[in-house]
Amino acid sequence: MAKQIYDVIVIGTGAGGGMAIKTLCEAGLKVCALNAGRRLDPEKDFRYHRMPWDMKFRGLDDPKRLSQSFGYMDNEYTKAAWDHEIPFTVAPGTKWMWPRCNAVGGKTNFWGRSSARFGEIDFRAASLDGYDVDWPLPYEEISPFYTRVEKMIGVASTVQNRPSNPDGSYLPPFNFRCLDFILEAGCKKVGVPYLPDRCAQLTQPHEGHPACHFCGECTTGCDVGAFFSTPYFLLPKAEATKNLELLTNALAKNVLVDENGHATGVAYIDRKTRQEVEVYGRAVVVAASCLESARIMLNSKSRQWPNGIANSSGQLGRNLCDHLYGESARGYLPQLVGQPSFPDHVADSTIAWMPRWQNLKDPHEEKFIRGYSIYPDGGCSEFPWFANELDGFGSSFKREIKRRYPAPVSFGIQAPSLRSDTNFVDLDPEVKDPYGMPVARMHFEWDENVLKMWEHSKQVCAEVLRAAGGVLEGSGEAPEIPGWSLHETGTCRMGNDPKNFVTNRFGQTHDVPNLYVCDASVFLSCTDKTTTISILAFSLRTSEHLIENFRRGEHKAA
Amino acid sequence: MAGQGIQRREVLRILGTAAAAAHFPGFSKWTFACGHIGNAALQIKPAEYRPQFFTAAEFPMVERLTEIIIPSDGTPGAKEAGVAEFIDFMVANDPDVKYGLRTGLAWLNAHAEQTDGKPFVELTPEQQTSLLEPLGFKDKERPGAEAGRHFFRMMRKYTVAGFYTSEIGYKELDNPALKFYAESPKCPHPGDPEHADLSSAHS
Repeated sequence: MAKQIYDVIVIGTGAGGGMAIKTLCEAGLKVCALNAGRRLDPEKDFRYHRMPWDMKFRGLDDPKRLSQSFGYMDNEYTKAAWDHEIPFTVAPGTKWMWPRCNAVGGKTNFWGRSSARFGEIDFRAASLDGYDVDWPLPYEEISPFYTRVEKMIGVASTVQNRPSNPDGSYLPPFNFRCLDFILEAGCKKVGVPYLPDRCAQLTQPHEGHPACHFCGECTTGCDVGAFFSTPYFLLPKAEATKNLELLTNALAKNVLVDENGHATGVAYIDRKTRQEVEVYGRAVVVAASCLESARIMLNSKSRQWPNGIANSSGQLGRNLCDHLYGESARGYLPQLVGQPSFPDHVADSTIAWMPRWQNLKDPHEEKFIRGYSIYPDGGCSEFPWFANELDGFGSSFKREIKRRYPAPVSFGIQAPSLRSDTNFVDLDPEVKDPYGMPVARMHFEWDENVLKMWEHSKQVCAEVLRAAGGVLEGSGEAPEIPGWSLHETGTCRMGNDPKNFVTNRFGQTHDVPNLYVCDASVFLSCTDKTTTISILAFSLRTSEHLIENFRRGEHKAA
Repeated sequence: MAGQGIQRREVLRILGTAAAAAHFPGFSKWTFACGHIGNAALQIKPAEYRPQFFTAAEFPMVERLTEIIIPSDGTPGAKEAGVAEFIDFMVANDPDVKYGLRTGLAWLNAHAEQTDGKPFVELTPEQQTSLLEPLGFKDKERPGAEAGRHFFRMMRKYTVAGFYTSEIGYKELDNPALKFYAESPKCPHPGDPEHADLSSAHS
């Protein structure tokens, strides 16, 4: 029997893979997509409409599991969708948390939905402050892709004219809550911005998707698809073309190559049968998320690629960056003490933001270079976490919890680490996963620059809280551990020089012309912005470049 | 407010609850304290709760402590919410805290015997409260009871967790998470961005 050869094999169905799959299928290419886990059934798997008392551990999760810190999104509501089988290791001194959603759609099922564009200030950061190199493309080149993505997914925000944050086309923003007005007034006094976030949550029906019903708890999944995820927004469009074959429980192992070292397909493990299977294609797109993509490519060793496929630069897996997360300040607003409860929780922490305001006029204005953003949050949440900080017990305690319920506020920092030679992922030489594949080993420490941002943010947020008339109660003792944000970038960075970069400006590997990367691993720097909308925009651009290469005959269609 | 509140998935929830009755902690108590559940099918008398971790002597102590921490005082408290059952279930599943809670209860009993000559549960409510005040109120702390304070803090943390994740706890706070909204909820005080005058308007 002649073996089937697809046009493109896509590894991963998250933001990057999902966009590639949809774009390629709609262009008429035959696509085989590999997904490491199963399809979710929203009715069964999304438990977000359950109340805590309908859950075995009240949504607080099994204490034995909690101690393994899988991450805040991997909890009693969603745990069936996250990978707990494939281990990873850390180098001595490294701490790392690696929540991986193996379900179809990946992390888009549960993401935070904040969707700011990268800006020229990010793409040209090196020219401004002298650190590292610029991105290999200017903002104006990616801008139209952002516009198209925003139209596809629906982002609620406003036009804000901020130098670090290019505006796009937006749905009506979320309404400000009481706490937003109070904090906004505080920010004005301090001279920092407080604005509606860019939130990919549908404030009105959009492109056939229903408007949000504002129940909160978006990061445990949405069973009506009122925020972007690939299973609701992209994969159905790909499937409608009949050009897609989606294989589930297919854990990609390595990219296969011919005698020239070009990609011919992918070997994967069928997790149901535990057998190794091969699929063949004229081109391969790796979009398994930053660290897993690096693992697969590093594990793709051959005579032609002894150090991993497309790794003649030696940069595959290097330049790992992540967002530092942490609670820069917490406290409460006395104005709201004793007020009736209010649905403050309807978009988690993405109703408002304090977008980067540092180093805008002068790149060296602060003691650190580049900048960070802050996500303020607070008000009535599902659980009164602040109660443990109050004093006493009995009726006075119970009454105080109720009075303080609408009043807590906190400020979360999102700060980019800088690339460094000592932050990277490689394959553990000894430890293997249950399928015999070497596990990823993380080497990572926060750099001095990002820790200065953390200190700076604690000062400013405390000042904002006080200026807003609030009471400051403290801040996180330390930032969250690396990996917490799920925003890792940089293991297959894009750049023009094949000696120093894994991928070119289109996300195509320099070494292997029919191998493309469509996730945050291609990002040259981490920026202060979240990753998903940029993964979508870059994946769309890479996919169209790939299609163009098929048209030009560089890859021959099946 | 613009949104009309709808109880989410009311029917499913009640069905799920009934099915779960046998093994979900806290159930034997709180289901009967929830006024709106009028479904006759639910009016089965649950079996008396059999603790999974605490001994027959310890469990009433835990129950009493939760009741003191979040009392019934006009609105239902930890007892009605079955918080002691929740704590028992969580501790049974958490090897890390078993020892601390067990020794803490033993410490409290010894402390009660030493101070008032009786085990904790046999003391009057006034005696119990005055025994706990130095452990739970900062301005009543006395030197030398660090272990007791640590134990009480832990017990309070569990009580808070159990109470405010129960339906009774949600009602106590008028927790907005039970509802859907037609549009994103909006601050109802447009004329007062700094919210300086709220307390007078709502007191």
